[in-house]
This record gives sequence, C-alpha cells and structure tokens, in this order.
Amino acid sequence: MTASDHIERNRAEWTGWAAEFVDSAERNWAADEITWGVWDARESELRVLPELDGTDVVELGCGTAYVSAWLARRGARPVGVDPTLAQLETARRMQTEHRLEFPLIEAPAEDIPLPASSFDLALSEYGASIWADPHFWIPEAARLLRPGGRLVFLVNGTVLNLCAKDEDLPPDTTLRRDYFGMHRFEWADDDSVNFYLGYGDWIRLLRANGLEVERLVEIQAPADAEPSRYPALPLPDWARQWPSEDVWVARKTQ
Amino acid sequence: MSSADARRNRAVWDAASDDYQERHREFIGRAAPRWGMWQLPESDLQILGDVVGKDVLEYGCGAAQWSILLARAGARPVGLDNSGRQLEHARELMAEAGVEFPLVHAGAGEAPLDDESFDVVFCDHGAMTFADPYATVPEVARLLRPGGLFAFSQSTPLALVCFDVEADRVTPELRRPLFGLHRIDWVENEPVEFNLPQGRWIALFRANGFVIEDLVEVQPPEGASSTYRSAEETDWARRWPKEQIWKLRKA
Repeated sequence: MTASDHIERNRAEWTGWAAEFVDSAERNWAADEITWGVWDARESELRVLPELDGTDVVELGCGTAYVSAWLARRGARPVGVDPTLAQLETARRMQTEHRLEFPLIEAPAEDIPLPASSFDLALSEYGASIWADPHFWIPEAARLLRPGGRLVFLVNGTVLNLCAKDEDLPPDTTLRRDYFGMHRFEWADDDSVNFYLGYGDWIRLLRANGLEVERLVEIQAPADAEPSRYPALPLPDWARQWPSEDVWVARKTQ
Repeated sequence: MSSADARRNRAVWDAASDDYQERHREFIGRAAPRWGMWQLPESDLQILGDVVGKDVLEYGCGAAQWSILLARAGARPVGLDNSGRQLEHARELMAEAGVEFPLVHAGAGEAPLDDESFDVVFCDHGAMTFADPYATVPEVARLLRPGGLFAFSQSTPLALVCFDVEADRVTPELRRPLFGLHRIDWVENEPVEFNLPQGRWIALFRANGFVIEDLVEVQPPEGASSTYRSAEETDWARRWPKEQIWKLRKA
C-alpha cells in the first residue's frame, strides 16, 4: 500500500463533486450504447473490449458504475470498486431504479478486498486509471485477473498531459510539463491528485506485472464534436489534431 | 513506400554520404556500440544484449559502424543499405578494421534475403526512419526467426510534431497534428522520412506478430553533446524525448 496522501485527498474531492455527477449518472444509466471518454467514442468502432457474455468484470474506480451497467446488460457479471461512498450511493440508487443489481465495493484501487485470479476483464474509464497511483493499482489489476484476462483503461492523452495548465483551463499548443519523470499531477484550483505515465513507463509497468501490451488507441475527437463539460479538457479543434485520450489494452499472459 | 521515395532517398544519400561521414566520423566511429543522436552506450541501454554467434541484419547500415563492432563482438552481421555510396564508405571502414561480412545494396522493402534467416534485425536511425513502416515491419517479420529481436531507434512522434522546419530545430510548441503522421516530406532535397503515432506503431507491430518488450525514450545526460543536434535541442531532449528505441520480439 502507498503512504501517499492522494487517496484521502481524492476521496474528499469526489465526496464534494458527487452531487454534480448525478445528472450524468442518470443519463448514462439510461443509455444503452457503450461509449468511451468525453467524445463518446463508440465501442462498436473502437472494439477494445473482449467478449462480455458470461464473464467476470471488475471496474476500478467505477464512480456511478454506468460502465458496469452497460456490461451487465450484455451478460457480464460486474463488480464496481470505488473509494468514494457518495459516488457509490448514486450507483446504488441507479441500480434500484433500473432493477440491475451487482456488487459495489468501497475501496481504493490500490488495495482491493477481492480474491486473486477471479476476473476475466478489469477496466477503468477515467477511474482508478487517472486517480490512483499506477505503481499500486496496475499490480492490483494484474492480481485480480485470470490468466488470459484483459486490462482495458482510458487515461488523459499523453500529449494533453504535457500541455495541461495548472488552472482549470483548456490546453493550448505549448508544452508546459516535462515528459521525463511524469507521474503525479497536482492542480491550482483544487486538492485532487492525478497520475499519468509516459508511453515507455506504461509499457514497462504493464510488462513487469505480466501484462502484454495489445493496443494503444489514441482517441481523436469527431468532426462534429461539441466542447466537453470539463473546462480543463481540450476544445474540439485541439482534440482533432492531438490525442486527448489514450486507451490501453493489455492481456495477462500467465 | 513508393519506389519514387526509395529512388529519391537513394539519390539524396548518395549525394550527402561523403559530407555526412566526414562530419560524424569521430562521433559515431568510437570503439563500442552506441545509440542515436547522443551516442548513448549500448552497454548502458542493453537493447541488443549478447550477439555472439547470432545472425544480425543492420537494416539501413550506412557506413556499417555498428556492424563492424558487432562482428568484432562475435556476431555474424549483414549490412543492408539503399545508398551505394554509403556502402562504399562501409567497405573502407571494414578494410581498416580488418573485418568482413556481406553488404547488400537494396531498398528496405525489398531485401533480397531469405525468410527466417536472422536472430536480430536492428537499425540506429536507419531504414525504420527512411522507409515506409507499412512495408518494412512486415519485411522484418519475414526475415526474423521465431523468437528473434527487432530493435530500432528513431525520432519520437512528439519531436516531429514540435519541429520547426524553417528554424531546423525542435521547439516546445505543437506545430502540426499528430493524427495522420506518416510520410514526412517537409524539406526539398532532403530524404523522405516516415513515422507514426505511438498507437499506430503498436497496432502495426501486433498485426505482424511482434510482442512489445520495451520502448526506451532516450534522455541525454546533462552536458551531452552531439554532432547531429544543437545544444538548444539537447536541452529540449532533457525534458521531452527526441528519440526512442523500440524493442520487439517475433512471437
């Protein structure tokens, strides 16, 4: 386990933000199509998920658990894990409304109270993938997966992270942050902590945990994209030219 | 890659070869293998590892400085290059060093070499920079034995996106899109180059049966010098990777 303060800081911030995410939880739970990220990239086009029917899935940093809901409707048996109780309370309310129950576990992705080799798929969309320390959550994901199981996660694009401002403003075209040593990000406007690695560091960390890199999908905003709700994310014109979201797919080899 | 690009790059390299070899002679002609624009020692990076008794193809060998050192270390190298003038320099250096190995004059997409005849295919800013990866990656997959190593250095896509063509140097600004990066033909009378976004590289490697073992993003040490790039660019490369080395294994 990490001695870092980021778990408590992120839990505190997300407890405060949870009410603002009820609307999007309702919208996403009501939707059927699986989409990724702020540009709603369609899974039917990305095809980063394996066969879902009859599989055991753990969602790391599930928030309001709408991704797990989409997968449950396709025959998967999801378990949602999140450190923020207020987010899980929204998820439980949605489960009741939609009559779609699956386990929700209050825990940080760095230390998950679930048995080893018990899942076919571990996934995270802007969840543990950006709010937990990868040097701890990647080994946890590897531990939870069965041999042959897949890890699929979406993070902010590496090029975007280099251009990210300290304040809640969209990036421009200036590289502001060093690539070498990229790991922990803190912000001027709030107390949250994010984690991002460079491409080579992701590849080495995945391989060191028995996960073979299968794909990296760099998401391009569609031509008709509208600005996202998040003020620190790029405007569509930026995200048409440079990747604002990276999806990694890796397979547990043994 | 069109044969027009291969012809153009052959003509440009034939014309530039004498100046190139003169300018970098001492920097890239040292006694132990080194990688890239800052000549970082292979003994530190450990990309190729032990080459004793291995069949090694240097894929875009230029004057074969690398292969000469690998031959001395016990490898059985073959040097391939698209430029005849570069290979004439290779023959001179081989004679000076007293080593012999085959040199092949051919474009990278059409190597007249047998299937599964190499344990290692590598280059240091060679064919993987100057030929189309959609032709070369399948070609390398053909040439390697199962379990063989494919390793090469190249510019990072980021450095190309941030390159100021007029000033001839890399800058801390995104100057052109990353999406669509492939064929780079920015300067007349210079070679055509090729590169891809990282996700496209990974997709191409996987489609050709390669396991991705490592991506080493090169950070030159403080005070590093180069006969290729300015001190200003070395400062840039201390913060953001200007070159990278892929290490891949044929499954």
